[in-house]
Amino acid sequence: MSTDPLLRVRDLRVSYPTPAGPAQVVHGVDLDLAPGERVALVGESGSGKSVTARAVLRLDPDARLSGRIELEGVDLLKLPPRRMREIRGGRVGLVFQDPLASLNPVMTIGRQVMQPLLIRGVPRKVARRRAVDLLERLGVRDAEHRADDYPHQFSGGMRQRVVIAIAVIAEPALLIADEPTTALDVRVQARVLELLRELADERGMSILLITHDLGIVAGFAQRAVVMRHGRPVETGTVEQIYTAPRDPYTKALLAAVPRIGGDVTRPLAVIGAAGEEKEGS
Amino acid sequence: MARLLLRRLVTSVVVLLGLAVVTFLMTQVLPGDPARAAAGRNATAEQVAAVAARLGLDRPLWDQFLAYMGRLLQGDLGTSVFTQRPVLEDVAAMLPSSVELVLAAMVINIAVAVPLGTYAAWRNGRAADAAARLITLLGAAMPVFWLGLMLQLLFAAQLRVLPLTGQLSFGKQVPAITGMTSVDALLGGDLAAFGDAVAHLVLPAITLAASFVAVVARTVRSSMLTALSSDYIQLARATGASELRVVVLHGLRNALVPASTILGMQLGWMLGSTVLVESVFGRTGIGAYAVTAVLQNDLYAVIGTVLVIGVVFVLANIAVDLVQLWLNPRLRHTGGRARRTARTEVPA
Amino acid sequence: MSATTTGIATGVAARIRHRVPFVEGAALAVAVVVVAMAAVGPLVAPHDPYAVNLTDALLPPSAEHWFGTDANGRDVLSRVLHGARVTLPATLVVIAASTVIGVLIGTVAALGGKVVDEVLMRITDIGLSLPAIILALGLSAALGPGLSSAVIALSVTWWPGYARLARTLVREVKDAEYVDAARVLGVPQGRLIFRHILPNALNTLYVQTTVDVGAVMLVISGLSFIGVGAQVPSAEWGAMIAGEANNLTNAWWAVAFPGLALLLTALAFNLVGDWLRVRNDPTIRREAR
Repeated sequence: MSTDPLLRVRDLRVSYPTPAGPAQVVHGVDLDLAPGERVALVGESGSGKSVTARAVLRLDPDARLSGRIELEGVDLLKLPPRRMREIRGGRVGLVFQDPLASLNPVMTIGRQVMQPLLIRGVPRKVARRRAVDLLERLGVRDAEHRADDYPHQFSGGMRQRVVIAIAVIAEPALLIADEPTTALDVRVQARVLELLRELADERGMSILLITHDLGIVAGFAQRAVVMRHGRPVETGTVEQIYTAPRDPYTKALLAAVPRIGGDVTRPLAVIGAAGEEKEGS
Repeated sequence: MARLLLRRLVTSVVVLLGLAVVTFLMTQVLPGDPARAAAGRNATAEQVAAVAARLGLDRPLWDQFLAYMGRLLQGDLGTSVFTQRPVLEDVAAMLPSSVELVLAAMVINIAVAVPLGTYAAWRNGRAADAAARLITLLGAAMPVFWLGLMLQLLFAAQLRVLPLTGQLSFGKQVPAITGMTSVDALLGGDLAAFGDAVAHLVLPAITLAASFVAVVARTVRSSMLTALSSDYIQLARATGASELRVVVLHGLRNALVPASTILGMQLGWMLGSTVLVESVFGRTGIGAYAVTAVLQNDLYAVIGTVLVIGVVFVLANIAVDLVQLWLNPRLRHTGGRARRTARTEVPA
Repeated sequence: MSATTTGIATGVAARIRHRVPFVEGAALAVAVVVVAMAAVGPLVAPHDPYAVNLTDALLPPSAEHWFGTDANGRDVLSRVLHGARVTLPATLVVIAASTVIGVLIGTVAALGGKVVDEVLMRITDIGLSLPAIILALGLSAALGPGLSSAVIALSVTWWPGYARLARTLVREVKDAEYVDAARVLGVPQGRLIFRHILPNALNTLYVQTTVDVGAVMLVISGLSFIGVGAQVPSAEWGAMIAGEANNLTNAWWAVAFPGLALLLTALAFNLVGDWLRVRNDPTIRREAR
């Protein structure tokens, strides 16, 4: 792999059919991810960032997608369902926001972590060994035994480690993390982000981080794309965006990030005060 | 887990006790004088009084109830006036055949309802929703005995593909081992008789299952809809699992938790419905026995069947609890590690 | 003037059409027809439902006898029309009686103390723990066969569902603010219960009773079919089927039509009940949309 991007998204549009005609929620997104690169997709809820992320894996059967989504030079929008399934969990892993809801309540942890390998024909014994090792690596103590526990027996932070394990066990080239720390408390948040970064470095894995929180982007991603109302409003290195934001919306988002030593009496900036569009989906 | 089972056991005992009270009261409202009936038509007043004393009918109600409870606990359900045998023996002889029918109906019920409900949820849409609703209401409106007759008319009388009535064709015989004709045929190694017994079982089992299928299908559909819209299903899809794997392995097991409660209750109701089905198809069984008993004014036999069906109902509920423990690991750890984690709500 | 009337009439019709979906409209129509049949059936019946005429026995459906004749030469159509008159009132009596019993027990449980509540609800559990048809069968046996025994037996076995429901509904209302307000204002206990709590708690009970009409009807017919309800010459639908079951293979019509009447009537009430249920439950309505 040379300098070719791992993921290249061009003019991605997503709409949903409704009785009143199609409702477009993403209006043309461009996005590039180099191998090993960490990029953040930032925006408020409803900005279309999650829809964009899920579109990469074509996870929502109701969504109508157009444009190009190239992974390692292959247009995912043209792949037959069977090949698409190989991509999911194989070349691209996914981590959801709510670690409680993302785990199947009636299946053991070990079984769920093994699943991506079992689907790909890895023998059960090998799969289990690798699952236990990975859980240990991610900080689950006594993983050998805990693999036989059920999700409700794990704490929130531990569950999110399990979800990460499921996402990366098949060694994907790209990990899409959709608000991976929002449901966790602050201390656990930092640890989980650290783990993700370590994993990415160890494996040369790229990460697409979806978040509404510019505060966590700074120490994590190299580049960021700010989205609003289904459109990217600003793209650049994290440094650029922090030090010299061009778009008024980005400025407003930045102003909302709490800073140690900052002036807490300062009134919150009104997001959208400089905006023009009406509130959409 | 232990607490759950203990609570169920306590409730069960209360229900059985209540059942004993109800059946005792039934013996009290019986029209006519049981002592006179027992003493015979031409008995003198002294003879009737003697019989009443022997049966304990002259004692206070409370004493009579204690005596009744005592007899029940010893398994003495009285003697059938019609068969002149102890009711318990009669019922024990009749029950296996009904259980065979109910289990066959249950197999049909599950085999039709679960895939149907799952499919309807997977193909979620207005048409599937409307169809599921209509079928449910139709099932609930179906007169069971009439459906049995119509099936007989079509498959036995017109098409001649299945036998009209009975449990076994004339001339065939099976060893009496369990009392379930098809099982006994298998145990006796007689495959022809087994096929024959199953053929006799098909129509009554379909008839019995018909009014229950729709409710299960609808339950499965709605809990499957909840399961399929959950994050863990999305995540399973995101690991590259095939749609079949996602729906069956991840969705169905979660969706079956609520369905198993319904199925357990239906087991008891089905046993009740044998009253309507067995007589239509000329099968022996506890339902047909109960009907004969009622028509012969054979009170102790009626009460015996009511009690036995009540006991089966209670046992079925306990069985459901055990199945739920197996289906739903969260129930296994009440008091265990689960209590430490705050969020243990059931999403399904 | 007449143009205005017509306008109003079409307006009302349009509103009804708009409010009542097609299938439910049809169900409502069938339910109304059955009720009407119960009222005027004997007037429109072409023949005497009880007139035995052995020379005309087991005639297939024809212009003279639309639904054919039964083994005793009686006109099946006329008997089916009369059947509504037997089954429907019996059903309504069962529903009314068990509603009264259930509401009484449920209200006492909800408003009485903890012990009263516990005892009454355990009794309710016992009632719910057995198939209604089995308890009713036992009670009919004790009372002796006949439609009235079946009605009595079913009334005293059907109430536990209503008791549960009434208890839940009353408990929801009894602590509502307007009830508290009335209590503070010194409204006497009896008036509080009958004027403030019950009317508000029970205004949705009719939904469940409508849903149950079909089920009760089926149990009554079932009891009649096995011989403990309405007795054989009666034009009750279940009893008619029982009487003609022996001739099933050579005169299907005598069995098929009474059952069809039963099925359609129960289905109509089920549909109407289900529609009321959906309309009264905002959570279901959202889900269905």
